[in-house]
Amino acid sequence: MASKGIGSLIAHRDMNTSASASLVGNPLSMRMHLNPDVVRSIVGVVAFLAIWEIGAHSAQLFASPLPWIGRLPAPEAVMAVWGQLLVQKSYWMDLYLSFLRVSSGFLVALLIGVPYGLLLALNRVAYEVGFPTFEVIRPIPPIAWIPASILFWPTQGLSIGFVIFLGAFFTIVLNVIGGTKSIDRRYFKAATSMGASKLNIFRRVVLPSVLPSIVVGAVVGMGISWEVVIAGELITGGGSASGSGSGIGFFIWNSYVAAGQAAEAKIVVGMISIGIMGYVSSELIRFIGRRVTPWLVVR
Amino acid sequence: MAASDDAGRIDSSLWNVLQLFQGRRFYLMLIGFALMLGFWHLSVEVWRLSRFKEMPGLTEVVREWTSREPSFGISIFTGDYYRDILVSCRRVAISFLVATALGIPFGLLLGWSRKFRGYVFSVFELLRPIPVIAWVPLAILMFNGQETPVIFLVTMSSFFATALNTKLGVESIDQSCIRAARCLGAKPRQVFVHVILPGALPYMFTGLQIGMGCAWFSLVVGEMVAGQFGLGYRINTAYVTVAYPTMVISMLTLGLVGYGSSALIRLLGNALMRWRARELAL
Repeated sequence: MASKGIGSLIAHRDMNTSASASLVGNPLSMRMHLNPDVVRSIVGVVAFLAIWEIGAHSAQLFASPLPWIGRLPAPEAVMAVWGQLLVQKSYWMDLYLSFLRVSSGFLVALLIGVPYGLLLALNRVAYEVGFPTFEVIRPIPPIAWIPASILFWPTQGLSIGFVIFLGAFFTIVLNVIGGTKSIDRRYFKAATSMGASKLNIFRRVVLPSVLPSIVVGAVVGMGISWEVVIAGELITGGGSASGSGSGIGFFIWNSYVAAGQAAEAKIVVGMISIGIMGYVSSELIRFIGRRVTPWLVVR
Repeated sequence: MAASDDAGRIDSSLWNVLQLFQGRRFYLMLIGFALMLGFWHLSVEVWRLSRFKEMPGLTEVVREWTSREPSFGISIFTGDYYRDILVSCRRVAISFLVATALGIPFGLLLGWSRKFRGYVFSVFELLRPIPVIAWVPLAILMFNGQETPVIFLVTMSSFFATALNTKLGVESIDQSCIRAARCLGAKPRQVFVHVILPGALPYMFTGLQIGMGCAWFSLVVGEMVAGQFGLGYRINTAYVTVAYPTMVISMLTLGLVGYGSSALIRLLGNALMRWRARELAL
């Protein structure tokens, strides 16, 4: 099943990062000499910045700008613009509004998706009635819903929120179903033979077994939510008031449309800000996930 | 021997199809679809709920989709419909091939060589949290023309999924398999061809499937914002020109085509990994 594939994939990625972290944090080798992996990654990042720098200045350095990377804004221009934006209230408002949309759509997806997934996974009739229709709607990319969503919902915020909900909902439901179906049947039998009621089995067997899958689904869903919010803000086009801030996707789009001084630099600042926001919110979900599934944390 | 095996399989699949119509599963599925479509039909065309005022109804969409003379110009009998499908498929196919051709060697190297991973992976991880969608305006500025930005975006989104999963696939290989091959005298190249490549194949195909999903996802954004023609473009144009049935037709077509392309990769994967298909009793 596809959901299991994704689930095992993410779990593996987490294991992988923790393994490399322990490799880096070896105190003995740190004291003697620098870890070669750390040195290499520093070299890699510096080379990346150098290529970016050369590309940005290629118009002055060479006769004509390099293809593709010649249009990039210089890193120092990006930093300068970012420095100016950091003290502006509208920049923080943009970040806050996008975050608000992501978190509200995501929370609704979690609140509806987890019970729906559990219902489908635990009840045969519900599964056979509900799952085929779910599978028919799922291949439509959430972005394709944006125009329909704008038509349906009264405000822009609600329509973007609905599309975010769709994006996260399918992943969460699939992961919950996959997690529930992979529970060892012997646990049910053992619990039943020891006299557990249905409610007891649900609380003591099903919920703890599904929690890791819910966390995985939530992490993936959070990533999709950030993709969707940017798409939603780009496509609904420009937003209303740009002065007070209206979302980081709007910010990028407005910078692009206005095409004024340092437009490219502003676009890149927006991209980096989204990257940071997305990264932080995924880490937040992972952190909460580790807190609610302490038995999975390797000491 | 093989022939009789095949015959048995065909028999059992035929039996499965017959089972489908006999069992209650089929009827429950029908109930599910009836509920969904019934809700759509009733809320839009019968009860005319106020929120659904702008939505095209079920019968309206079906009539438009199958009409010889559609009122908004798109149905299964018009050439424009198939051109949109073709343009979208062509974009996805080009991007997906490029992403696969780059992403699989890249991922194999990332998993195989510690040095390469050290130099490149940090940059890869720095760029990865930025949603591909956020690249749209920059891609339009960086690449001239209408076609290249879309192809760049789609390529990038499926490249990340393919490369990352291929890397995980290489890392998932049991180290003792590699050691065993080395002990038996395999050269690094032979280890690569006979251990690493087949070992990483299952993850690779998971990556390709996720990559295909990502490709359609970003294709829609690219076409809506930057492209000309294609299903995403058609959805947006239909919305702007108030051709709402066309919008729904394009959405449903996107779902169908996207599902078909994922199924194609799954089939290819099962053909390449017969040992695994047998294990999972597919």
